[in-house]
Amino acid sequence: MNNNSTTDNGRLRLWRGVALVAGVFSLVICSLVIANYIQLQRLDPVNTEVINSLVERLSDHPNDNELRTEIRELDLLARKAYFTNQWQIRFGGYLLLMGIAILMIALQMIRMGSKTDPEVPAGKPFNVLRYQQKTRRWVAISGIWLVLVTLAIAVVTHQEMENKFAKAAIASNAKSNMVIPGEKSSVSEETEQPQEVPAADAEVKVVEKKPEVSKATKEKEENNIIEEKKAVSKPVISKKVFDYPTKAMKVNYPSFRGPGGNGIAYQNNIPTQWDGASGKNILWKTSIPLHGYNSPVIWGDKVFLSGADANNREIYCFNRKTGKVVWTAKADNITDSPAKAPGVTDDTGHAAASVTTDGKRVCAIFSNGDVLAVDMKGKRVWARNLGVPSNHYGHSSSLVMVEDKLIVQYDHRKSAQVMALAVQTGETLWKTERKVKISWASPVVVGTTEGAEVLLSADPFIASYNASTGEELWKLDCMSGEVGPSVAYADGIVFALNEYASLVAIKAGPEPEILWEAEDYLSDVPSPVATEKYLFVATSYGLVVCYDAKTGEQYWEKEFDKGFYASPVLVDGKIYLLDRDGIMHIFKPDNKFVAVSDPSLGEKSVCTPAFSDGHIYIRAGKNLYCIGK
Amino acid sequence: MKKWLTLITLFIAMCLQGVEVGAQQQQRFPKPEFESGYTQPVTTVPAARADFLAYLDILILIGALALISWLILKKRSRRGVTWVSVFSLLYFGFFRQGCVCSVGSLQNITLALFRPEYSIPLSALAFFVIPVVFTLFFGRTFCAGVCPFGALQDLILLRPLLLKKWLQKLLGLIPFLYLGLAILYAATATDFIICRYDPFIGIFRFDATFTMFIIGGIFLFVSLFVARPYCRFLCPYGVLLSWVSRVSKYHLTISPASCTQCRLCENACPVGAIQKPMTEKNMESRPTAVKRFMLLSFVLPAMVVLGGWTGANFHERLSAVNPKVQLAHELLAGKDNNSGEASDEVTAFRSSGKPVEELYSEAAGLVREFYWGGWILGGFIGLVFGLTLTGLSVFRYREEYSPHKGECVSCARCLAYCPVSVKDIKNR
Amino acid sequence: MDHSGKKTNRREFINKCYRYSVAVGVTGLVGGLTNKIVAKDTVWQLDPTKCTQCGKCATNCVMTPSAIKCIHVYDMCGYCDLCGGYFRPNSKELTTGAENQLCPTGAIKRKYVEDPFFQYEIDEELCIGCGICVKGCGAFGNGSLQLQVNHDLCKNCNQCTVATACPSNAFTRVPADEPYLFTGYKKQ
Repeated sequence: MNNNSTTDNGRLRLWRGVALVAGVFSLVICSLVIANYIQLQRLDPVNTEVINSLVERLSDHPNDNELRTEIRELDLLARKAYFTNQWQIRFGGYLLLMGIAILMIALQMIRMGSKTDPEVPAGKPFNVLRYQQKTRRWVAISGIWLVLVTLAIAVVTHQEMENKFAKAAIASNAKSNMVIPGEKSSVSEETEQPQEVPAADAEVKVVEKKPEVSKATKEKEENNIIEEKKAVSKPVISKKVFDYPTKAMKVNYPSFRGPGGNGIAYQNNIPTQWDGASGKNILWKTSIPLHGYNSPVIWGDKVFLSGADANNREIYCFNRKTGKVVWTAKADNITDSPAKAPGVTDDTGHAAASVTTDGKRVCAIFSNGDVLAVDMKGKRVWARNLGVPSNHYGHSSSLVMVEDKLIVQYDHRKSAQVMALAVQTGETLWKTERKVKISWASPVVVGTTEGAEVLLSADPFIASYNASTGEELWKLDCMSGEVGPSVAYADGIVFALNEYASLVAIKAGPEPEILWEAEDYLSDVPSPVATEKYLFVATSYGLVVCYDAKTGEQYWEKEFDKGFYASPVLVDGKIYLLDRDGIMHIFKPDNKFVAVSDPSLGEKSVCTPAFSDGHIYIRAGKNLYCIGK
Repeated sequence: MKKWLTLITLFIAMCLQGVEVGAQQQQRFPKPEFESGYTQPVTTVPAARADFLAYLDILILIGALALISWLILKKRSRRGVTWVSVFSLLYFGFFRQGCVCSVGSLQNITLALFRPEYSIPLSALAFFVIPVVFTLFFGRTFCAGVCPFGALQDLILLRPLLLKKWLQKLLGLIPFLYLGLAILYAATATDFIICRYDPFIGIFRFDATFTMFIIGGIFLFVSLFVARPYCRFLCPYGVLLSWVSRVSKYHLTISPASCTQCRLCENACPVGAIQKPMTEKNMESRPTAVKRFMLLSFVLPAMVVLGGWTGANFHERLSAVNPKVQLAHELLAGKDNNSGEASDEVTAFRSSGKPVEELYSEAAGLVREFYWGGWILGGFIGLVFGLTLTGLSVFRYREEYSPHKGECVSCARCLAYCPVSVKDIKNR
Repeated sequence: MDHSGKKTNRREFINKCYRYSVAVGVTGLVGGLTNKIVAKDTVWQLDPTKCTQCGKCATNCVMTPSAIKCIHVYDMCGYCDLCGGYFRPNSKELTTGAENQLCPTGAIKRKYVEDPFFQYEIDEELCIGCGICVKGCGAFGNGSLQLQVNHDLCKNCNQCTVATACPSNAFTRVPADEPYLFTGYKKQ
């Protein structure tokens, strides 16, 4: 008996020791794991801000090798810390589990060893009545408390959610219902704004008819008549449609994607056959000194382009007939211009934005925010720097002019704005802040009853601004991503799209509405072009799609071998679309795909062509081509 | 079932088709044709857990339940229960990492009942039904040592402190609330709150958010001294099992034969489930008891209505947890303010192209569901409070020390306290 | 004694009724759900066409690092030199230097194949499922990098915490024998 109890005691002591050791061990491991865990929570591998800022600094100083090594070391350290920490926690977890298991076993052993025989509990006998009374009281108290607290919270946070949602559902339902059937909407709109619908009709009909009808020069007169008709019909309407683009602009090709930047040109006799390899119909080819992805613009007998690298920025003027460089204007010695050009990607470059002209001056913008205006002889009129844009690809939004205003879309990371500069002096006439992300889309200017409107596409909204005041006329949240394509406009409808967002057709006006949406084929570079009836979308992966402009019904899609970066232009009753291999796809703007021809330039190009009567001008690689007979 | 399968396969086929077209479009850079004899590595696609393992889980569950019931009721062995607990803890806990567990399967059942589009995996249904069936016959033997949560808490129990009876009763009301909320949120396809706030799953996985680790740690620490805090004061599945267990056919008895009223087992139960004998002399005088009983049965419907009304008033708060309602709310608020960055949800919704009015009407429908859900939940809580009060006013005549069939988790600790042993009976 | 016997009999009868009703209820429940039971187990998977690469997969999974990984579908890869999923957008040099890499944990291994093609391989040990490379590849390349739940690591929780956090509801339960939803993959 005695012997037995001593061995029991010995065993107990042993277990006590084990418990103590295991307990201390677990405690230590536990605190280590917790410390590690807290540390791990603080490490965020996705956003290591130090490294990110260093990398940004490196992109400004690409040759700083010390900085580079520093980044590499820091990165390695951060990753090591992250993964070692995880491994430590996992391993620590297993150790802790083991420690606690041993501790528990030891404690249970001690408990079992020191177990005493059951005893009859002493003390007062259990009083059922008292117990029941007390419990009843507590249950009642907590029940009342629960009800009161719940009701108090309910009252404080009450907001008629269901009604709100139901109303919102009805409201947005009504909106879309009004739009989709078409009949209803036109009735209601006509009563509200009887002038607007016919006004827009009149304008676009002219726009539409002109390229379709005019195939010979003699028909030009007819166009003029229509033009006049429009002028005559205008006073009949109570509210005038602003005359934009002007006749002078239509005769020329003053900006990227034609007058107003809407993808429609008004020239005739455009060639459909040429061959770069054999030189057939290639009138001349001139090499451009500096690189750039901007597209040519034309006024009179001059073709304008810009080119730039990190150190030089230049505007070039070519003779339209001979291809000779008439003059070169350098953008240097500009106040506030940064010493070093910001980093840009190779596929954007330092001169991605096209120049624009009004026949008196030529304006250009470059990747560092320099804006240069020269006269038709290449003499500087003014130059200024708008502040270096923070744009990870490089600024690419082209310029466009309205009367005497140069419209600049300047949506960048640090500040997003659209502004108008006086063409004569360069001073800021108005500036409107925009709450958008970086946008690479170019402004499109159209004339409506409100005047000239500047249409801009950016993440998150499409917006329209009064070109003379900068006032925001309307906006609609519907866009996302890195917006590259500019909008297209026809018959009061704005078409905008972007890759990973959607294609939206917006009824422009003070209360913009989405008429239809499509998501199947989206573009990230080329802009769409629209007529009154159809919308044509070209994508960077080589698909061209035709939609019904009013309903969004898809008429056809056609896949080409090569993708498109250049935007389609509607001219001379045909659509000209240049693919990245330099093959021009010419087809009819119809609800069936009718190919006209596919002449090849023989050189790769990403630039949108420019047109003059009988001629096409294409910038491809380092060369400017003129095509014609 | 066939219909479902075909639907699912159709859906997948449609997805694949749509995707293939998409893939062709997005192939901006065609795959090169290699000249250097390069062989393309294989895309890694680890297979999911094999199907038969789910059936194996069900078989193991049945086996463990049968074994533990036999150990408790026939062998009357606490040691056996401990070993089954260790096994469950290791297998269902650390190896299977607590998914699917019976406690959570309750929500799958609810969701499948209320949402026509949801189909339930066989294993979830089996994990819900099998313990209920066993409980119907043998009492809460599942809780005793097959449930990994119960096993974990039971194994680390060191020195049970007996809670005051009234406090135990009061805290015992929490699981009803939790059950009601869990069913409401599962039925509206909002969230599985039982799974989300499971305190032990993080321990089984060595991985959880910081707060869940803390909550799990607190539960474990408390269960060193208070027996099974989760089972008694939180577990919603335990509520269901305790209802079923009340009428179980062969429930554990403390004494293998008739009780000798030795009082030795009086404090033996760590969960305080042993009921003392109740004789006439302990009871209230008949008139007062009857009067109170009448009053309470009159008040009971009023309490149900009061609870329901409160719940219905509270429905907006309840519905605010639902992600769809949240999104609609955010969109609506965004329309008013038109400022600030859109959240990920709003951006994703916009890019999904789903019409806003559809979302709004869905949200309105959900809020309506929550309104009626609030009535039912509140009414249920009112009923529970009312029945508890009624139960506290009646007396049941009882001669023996016996476990409360609802509260007893059949851990078999009390058996060792009884001086009447099976052997004695056999010898007699 | 007689009195109490009656009482227990009555109680036993009520219990029996209650017991039968529970049994009937359970049978009814199972019966009612029969046409909803899927015998095949289901697993969580995310639909890459819905995914917006918000980054919540990396932070919301119960596992650290997340069970959601980037899977490289080699069949779709263009083996580009300038890989939108590998390089930071402004990288000037196309080298494997840490300053050029987009992946925050350096989980993508770039290997020269032949001029001008490079192979990109994902080290799953290092991948945290943040989807940054997926976004890059989708925006500039073929979209051959895709986020998927890796079933080796997924615990197949009853309610996937990433699914509840996913802003675009991209997570669904799919049959366990067809556990992936990524695109462009041709089975050998």
